[in-house]
Amino acid sequence: MSRITLLAALIYLIILAGVGTLNGAMVALALPLVLYLLAGLWRGPEELHLSAERTISAERVAPGDSVVIELKVTNHGEALEQVLLHDPLPAFLSVVEGASSRLVNLPAHGSISWSYTIQGKRGSHYFENIQAIAEDRLGLMTKRALLPTRGQLLILPSISRVRHIPIQPRQTRVYSGVIPAHQGGTGIEFFGLREYQAGDSPHHINWRVSARQDNVIYSNEYEQERVADVGIVLDGRRKVNEFGGRRSIFEDSVLASVAVASSLLAEGNRVGLFIYGKRNKWTSPGYGKYQRERIMQDLALAETGETQNFNSLIIPRRLFPPNSQIILISPLSGGDVSLLMQLRARGYQLLVISPDPVSFESRGLGDSPSVKLATRIARLQREVLLRELRHTGVQVINWDVARPFEQAVRSALSRPTAFLHAIQRGVGKQ
Amino acid sequence: MTRNFVYVSILASAAALTYSLAANDFIPVSVTVALLGIAWIVLFMRGLHRFSGLAFSIFIIISLASLWADVSSWLALAGVIFSLLAWDLTKFSQRLQNTNSPQDARRAERAHFSRLTLVIDLSLAGYFAATRIHVTLTFGAAALLALLGIWGISALVYRLRSHE
Repeated sequence: MSRITLLAALIYLIILAGVGTLNGAMVALALPLVLYLLAGLWRGPEELHLSAERTISAERVAPGDSVVIELKVTNHGEALEQVLLHDPLPAFLSVVEGASSRLVNLPAHGSISWSYTIQGKRGSHYFENIQAIAEDRLGLMTKRALLPTRGQLLILPSISRVRHIPIQPRQTRVYSGVIPAHQGGTGIEFFGLREYQAGDSPHHINWRVSARQDNVIYSNEYEQERVADVGIVLDGRRKVNEFGGRRSIFEDSVLASVAVASSLLAEGNRVGLFIYGKRNKWTSPGYGKYQRERIMQDLALAETGETQNFNSLIIPRRLFPPNSQIILISPLSGGDVSLLMQLRARGYQLLVISPDPVSFESRGLGDSPSVKLATRIARLQREVLLRELRHTGVQVINWDVARPFEQAVRSALSRPTAFLHAIQRGVGKQ
Repeated sequence: MTRNFVYVSILASAAALTYSLAANDFIPVSVTVALLGIAWIVLFMRGLHRFSGLAFSIFIIISLASLWADVSSWLALAGVIFSLLAWDLTKFSQRLQNTNSPQDARRAERAHFSRLTLVIDLSLAGYFAATRIHVTLTFGAAALLALLGIWGISALVYRLRSHE
């Protein structure tokens, strides 16, 4: 029941009771309620003629950066005694200074400007219309309006820097870079020996080996370093990323994706990104800062989705030919091994960066004996899973997200594992 | 400040009606009114504001009943005015929660209280005048006046609702 209806009903009741009992004092009891109604009528809001402007201090920021929203609302109509101007904030944004809602008096043809500061989480945030609710002083009459004013704020993912990610794909591109190409030529790392050819630099002659041979001079050959095709696959499946209490490890996966993409692009590689989450999205491969910007924008919008397994994960050969490098960033689940084995069988060099979901989840579950036991079982299962992957020739980084990403990468990849050498020399070819 | 005034208004309304009924030997009814006042306060504290209209209506009916039972008319008026204040301020406190600007809230509180003070002052003055002026009416004249009053209130309500 509206407030006006309730008041009217009570006034009728009082008047009828007073007349029925012929009691004038009883009728007079209706006076406060009648005056209250009249006060509501007096200077109540008329039609709303408002317009609004919004200015956002930055359109692209990093998480934790403050953004100032400036609003100006102009009243083109009659004076409004009390109007609530509410700027609904998108989810995951919060006000750190100032107010997003104002309860103000707007004179006729006057305006009000105010600002507030927000911070938020990664994502693309869209601002909606401003809500205006004008009321009389006693809140009996209400007029509502939506003031069209839009805006967008892109909060990019956090950036974690990794200097170098030592990948070793079987196939590289023709341009020079920093990835060993498994071919002799000019470079830094020793690759092998060959017979001296006219034009070889005397510095490259291997005098020690040449001295042991008759009439043959040998030159050192160095490993060529080139750029490579790298596809980053970010696993955004909800079932492997989200845990009880609305805790998610996905942000750490995004952070790892940014670090890996930035590092590989800085070294001149051709990098593409596939986000396998709410929407499956390919960022086609490219080079340089422009590509980094595209990847950052796509990662800013990455969200987890309901996809259960990797059945629909198809790596287009046109973009990533076999023998190129695929980096999967995923907490992993037991059913993923078969897909990764298929990718290996197609000739892709696989590196799996796996944020450790067991450590992540156990940290939020307390320290009871049952939790310890469950953690131990889960850890053993994960260890078996990772071992199985390693046996298929997949390089795995098990990243406890409590550690900095760079540290985890450095300790896991600083020295290529023995089996990688074996694979590259053809011993472990499948 | 508004929340404190809600508590004060509920207490004052319940106290005025409890005292007036107890003074006229309606002890069980006065205890019931006191308990209703406590229940209203508890509902407000728990944020169950949708019950404030019901509580307000009950207190108005009790005020009418107490006046019919020949208690002091001024205490019955106090019951009406304070329950009206409690009901109004409950809604106003909800409105204040929609703004996160303390300055705006203070300014709105000042304006709201000044408007309420005006309503209460006029009510007291009107009631005082009504109790002093004695006009003898037949039932027919009283009923005609009542119909006129109801028509006036209906017109006012229609006007207010049509503006929404």
